[in-house]
Amino acid sequence: MTWQVRPLPPEVSNLDIVVATRRDEDGEFLIRELQRTRARVRHIWPIPEVLPEDADVIYCDLAPGLSERIPWVPGEPKAALTIIIPLVPPPDLDQLRTCAADAVLHRPFTSHAVLVSLVMARTRFTYDQRLRWRIDKLDENLRAIRAVERAKAILMSTRSIGEDEAYRFIRRQAMDRRVSISVVAAAIVDSHEILS
Amino acid sequence: MPESRGRTSEPWRVGVLFSKTGFMAVIEETQLRGTLLAIEEINAAGGINGRELVPIAYDPSSEAAAFGRYAKRLMVEDRITTIFGCYTSSSRKAVLPVVERLNGLLWYPTLYEGFEFSPNVIYTGAAPNQNSIALCRFLMDNYGTRFYFVGSDYVYPRESNRIMRELVRNNGGEVVGEVYLRLRAKHRDFAPVIRDIKALQPNVIFSTVVGDATIHLYQCYADAGFDPKTMPIASLTTTEAEIRAMGFDVGEGHITAAPYFQGVGGDSNSSFVAHYKKRYGEDEPTNMCVEAAYFQVHIFAKALEQANSLETDVLRPVVLGTEFDAPQGKISINPTCSHTDLWTRIGRVNRRGQFDVMQQSLTSVRADPYLIGYGRTVAFS
Repeated sequence: MTWQVRPLPPEVSNLDIVVATRRDEDGEFLIRELQRTRARVRHIWPIPEVLPEDADVIYCDLAPGLSERIPWVPGEPKAALTIIIPLVPPPDLDQLRTCAADAVLHRPFTSHAVLVSLVMARTRFTYDQRLRWRIDKLDENLRAIRAVERAKAILMSTRSIGEDEAYRFIRRQAMDRRVSISVVAAAIVDSHEILS
Repeated sequence: MPESRGRTSEPWRVGVLFSKTGFMAVIEETQLRGTLLAIEEINAAGGINGRELVPIAYDPSSEAAAFGRYAKRLMVEDRITTIFGCYTSSSRKAVLPVVERLNGLLWYPTLYEGFEFSPNVIYTGAAPNQNSIALCRFLMDNYGTRFYFVGSDYVYPRESNRIMRELVRNNGGEVVGEVYLRLRAKHRDFAPVIRDIKALQPNVIFSTVVGDATIHLYQCYADAGFDPKTMPIASLTTTEAEIRAMGFDVGEGHITAAPYFQGVGGDSNSSFVAHYKKRYGEDEPTNMCVEAAYFQVHIFAKALEQANSLETDVLRPVVLGTEFDAPQGKISINPTCSHTDLWTRIGRVNRRGQFDVMQQSLTSVRADPYLIGYGRTVAFS
């Protein structure tokens, strides 16, 4: 029986990958398998005080105090994180939770498991990044809407002008100063709060 | 291996999702034509970096859920990342989770109600600040302050009317009636609406009815003997395609706000209209939806030539900020919101089924999908 060789998804080839696990026979196998995806692999051992963050994916042993060595706060990851689970001792599940990993990989490694962990970590991470970006933009827009509404109200009452004229004023200022409408609005709100 | 690497003559494959059947085909089929025309032009000029552009098109037959299913098929089975498609907001919302989760890029060539900003969509139709605001002002200046709203019952009309109601009220007008009909509404469904209008005597009927139902609305209006000179139907969606389907005499005198009408001047438009008619027939008019469907493929091609990759993370940054000499005039993809800075125009239907441009912006108008700054200071020529 023959199997079709599946092409690698573009999201998981040509990556920068950090591997922080013992370079025994299994460790060598992991590095080789990752290199087969055209990854540039950097091996680090022992796990440093602070893991590097200039990588696309980090593979790291689940070790005591690991969450302290991750260079970002949970929820704001800079790279996809795959946690390597050793055969023994039993995994520290609370440590696993606080590391907020994107995927796990169990020792001993197999070729399929390595690829699966890479795809899971990378797609999970990039999707989270896109959602976070979208949420940031929504927050930004909400703040801008609020600022513009407050600035408009301030202009209407301090200058005794109508709504349209207030909007026009804010827009003109933004165009003249080449900044966004929300920046002008925030400045109007701030200066009004200082003066009153 | 990803399509981006290596020296290959393999075609660039892209997905296309517009309905050829069902109640939205009247307009979506024109968007399909605009898309295919642009693809043919690009291939006739040698493709993109020597590679042919090949569309994989499915017909979701005017059913929103089918758009989601076909988007999945395109991305999962056909291994496609770029999709051109969708007219209704319901269909866009069905495709959205798929392209966001699998990191695709949807090119959406239709005006919509705004208040959306996905990193996986390029919006090339008008946002409310590019059509609703100017339309409201034009109607109040020329016809009066009493508005009657009639719409199809789905996302776009309700959201669009929410914005229009605010504009009307802020300018001292009033909405005297508001009614929604099912998307597949028939001729007879409009009888009570016509009775209502007769009783309330508004100055303007603002319609967000889409698809085949548009034709029934305007025909019922004509049958009732109403006069567009004193009480026009104003719309953001009624184009040359719907006017042709309802009859030129039925459409005459009614108002639409859009970035593009077939009658706008310019070399880019003359050559676009000539190509379109040569390809699809002398009687086939272009419209704002064809135009957006057409120019967005050209912008895509321009970006792909530079990026040489269909991977969304590589292609999208190149698309943002791209300028293009579209049939409507010079436009650009606004990098802060992935919407397009488009022209604002108000047109009135003449007896040849074309729109006479009553007003137009001096330049393209910056897209403001969240209506943060409002487009109230748009200057008109």
